[in-house]
Amino acid sequence: MRQILAIIRKDVLLRFASPSEWLFFILLPILFTFVLGMGNYGSDGKVTLLVVNEAKNEISARMIEALKDAPGVQPEVVSRAEAEERFLARKASFWLYLPPDLTAERLMNGEQVRLLLYQQPNNLRALAVQRAVQAAVGGESLPFEAAHEAVALAEQYGIFAAEAERLQYFNEALQLARALWLQTPDRLEVSRPSSAPVYDPRAQASAGQLITWVFIPLFGISALLAYERNTGTLPRVMTTPTPRAVFLLGTIGGQVLMALVQMGLLVGFGVLGLKLSWARDPLVLVLLLLTSALAAGAIGVFMGTWVRNEAQANNLSILMGMVMALLGGCWYPLEFFPAPVKTVVHVLPTTWALEGMVNYLTRGSTLRDLFPQLAVLTGFAVIFFALGFWRLKREA
Amino acid sequence: MRRILLIAFKDLLLIIRDRSTVLMILIGPFLLTLGMGLISGQMGGSASPSSGPSDIPVVIVNQDGQSLGNALVNVLSSPELATLLEPGLVSDVEEAKQQVEEDQAAAAIIIPAGFTRSLIPPAGEWQAWLPSSSSNIPLQIYANPGRPNSVAVVESIVREFLFRVEKGRILGWTAIAPLVAKGVIQPAQAEDVGRAWGESQAWSGVEKDLIRVVITEGEATRPRDLNVMASMAPGMALLFLMFTATFGARSLLVEHRQQTLQRLMITPTLPHQILLGKGIGVYLSGVVQQVLLIGVSTWFFALNWGDAWGVLALILCASLAAVGWGLFIAALARTPAQVASAGTALMLVFGLLGGSFVDLGDMPPALYVLSRLTPNAWGLDGYAILAGGGSLSQIAQPLLALLLMGVVLITLAGMVLMRSRRFAQV
Repeated sequence: MRQILAIIRKDVLLRFASPSEWLFFILLPILFTFVLGMGNYGSDGKVTLLVVNEAKNEISARMIEALKDAPGVQPEVVSRAEAEERFLARKASFWLYLPPDLTAERLMNGEQVRLLLYQQPNNLRALAVQRAVQAAVGGESLPFEAAHEAVALAEQYGIFAAEAERLQYFNEALQLARALWLQTPDRLEVSRPSSAPVYDPRAQASAGQLITWVFIPLFGISALLAYERNTGTLPRVMTTPTPRAVFLLGTIGGQVLMALVQMGLLVGFGVLGLKLSWARDPLVLVLLLLTSALAAGAIGVFMGTWVRNEAQANNLSILMGMVMALLGGCWYPLEFFPAPVKTVVHVLPTTWALEGMVNYLTRGSTLRDLFPQLAVLTGFAVIFFALGFWRLKREA
Repeated sequence: MRRILLIAFKDLLLIIRDRSTVLMILIGPFLLTLGMGLISGQMGGSASPSSGPSDIPVVIVNQDGQSLGNALVNVLSSPELATLLEPGLVSDVEEAKQQVEEDQAAAAIIIPAGFTRSLIPPAGEWQAWLPSSSSNIPLQIYANPGRPNSVAVVESIVREFLFRVEKGRILGWTAIAPLVAKGVIQPAQAEDVGRAWGESQAWSGVEKDLIRVVITEGEATRPRDLNVMASMAPGMALLFLMFTATFGARSLLVEHRQQTLQRLMITPTLPHQILLGKGIGVYLSGVVQQVLLIGVSTWFFALNWGDAWGVLALILCASLAAVGWGLFIAALARTPAQVASAGTALMLVFGLLGGSFVDLGDMPPALYVLSRLTPNAWGLDGYAILAGGGSLSQIAQPLLALLLMGVVLITLAGMVLMRSRRFAQV
């Protein structure tokens, strides 16, 4: 035990010999979690919708008011030049153009008016914005359409002796339709399982970044092994009474321990900074973090038996970590993946780790619910440790 | 000049020959771009240009069984929504909810008994057409909290359906009620007149939306659809350009540590020639990396990057800015390890702030201002304009910003390096 602790202490001192390690250990993961949590991840939270109101009348004012009440959207009235400049500079993702011909007169004449909604491509909030705009527009368009229909039907009965009567009839129908629209009850109820916490898009960012930033250094165990092999310190250790198993246990245990500390700090940031329910069930949380760390550590050991030098191992660790994180759903939610891809990416430990953590955070999953994820992550650890140790033994 | 070029090509060769570096500067960004292509459905061709959820599993319980309930089932199962939804019908509400709770479905849509009747009253009860909250029997969506974006899609489809139904109701009432009130038709006739009118309007085929929302993506003045990959591939290329720049600049310190820099200094080669040669070497590796990445992704993903001269100008200017940052870090660092860690950190932070991972429009204003310090943000601005149909002249601002960034940083780095012990000691 003393030997294992000595190896762990040595690795910790080596890793934190440079202050820059703190950047990767805690500062950058927190920055990424914070920024990505506020960014592209969900339909909650308000997204700015620039509105260019060149109509400047009651209709456009009512539309803007309706947009203010819409969930997920924050309208901001600006000039056309400003909207175009901010959109082109990617300072804004959406802008809505209310043209000068959006007038009651034009609508009363039955002439169609086209509003333009500009959106940046690949924006996950596009649907929420489109829905808000369509609802606001529908509430203004419908009364005019209804009034036109009313007049058209009444004309079939020949009840208008003069144009003034026709106009009065139109205006009365318009008021009636507007009143009916306002009286319409909400005909849709949305509920969710009572056991599940309210979804927070930051949960995806917190879990995703935790996995990304912890898996990369654990894959970096391969660099440690390559370093020991290339500098000859491994054979030197082997000449001491320290058994090979103790050396490996110390090396891998130290990295896994550091990963658990890092995970703990990031979970702490999630609880305190993002108000996420990471602490809901400490036993489940510890099992999730431990099995994830062991799976990544085992892959690191296995990689260490293949790579030739430290530089290759370092670059490969970063690359594999980033690709696995991307495909595992750590950067973009798995629900956006096409169905076949969603199935295929289950060959990666990052997918299982993310599913486990996100389900734990957003669905209130229990130990029983998370058994498949925990079992698969343990399976990854067992298989890759076995393969890694087998290859190390052969090397010896 | 020959000496400068010799040093430059030597550094370029060293970078290209190093397998682990090639892994990071070429294979890395390509693999990530490929991964993004896979997850956005671009590789399978199943996703729309706007991306987002597809094949959303939805379970429907139609307890209503009447015209509107059946119409909603038909809408959800229609070919138009086939790529978006994967609907399934069950008869039991609890079974549907269980599927949601077990994450087999993104949402359960429950059409309660009496839903149609609450909107379309039986014959002879024409006054019941008036909207009333007392007779309201709402649809229910039981949402999967783990799939909020899919639920948002389902909700928007159901709300659109409800809007159409409500619209029909209000159109009918507004057309009929005044005629009854004025005694033009009798209350007993109202329903028949309304149905006949409704049917004639439904078959007229005339576009009824007086105010239409036209949704366009991309450049403001010339709306057109863009490919998702066209916004992802430049992000990855620029992300790894920073790695190339800092890795290349690191060689200054590596050479000093290996004493090869000192060896160069005792030759008639002047310090500024060495610096210039190394700078050009790093710059060339950045340009080669960008050209290869853009070329391969154009071929592999059939991407249209836009105006070729504009793309070339962006590659040249973005590489200059990235080299500026690389040399600046190398000038301030003491060891190659410091350059490596600071370079990796900078690459990731610039990627984040510069928009390689998330849309800049979603960022708070303060972060947006910071993003202007990164070559990634200016580069992506330029690529977005070109992909949207812009020309070389329209990317003048990003080009100037990148050029200025590069010149200022390289000048600063040169001043620091020329005064440093490494160059002054000979």
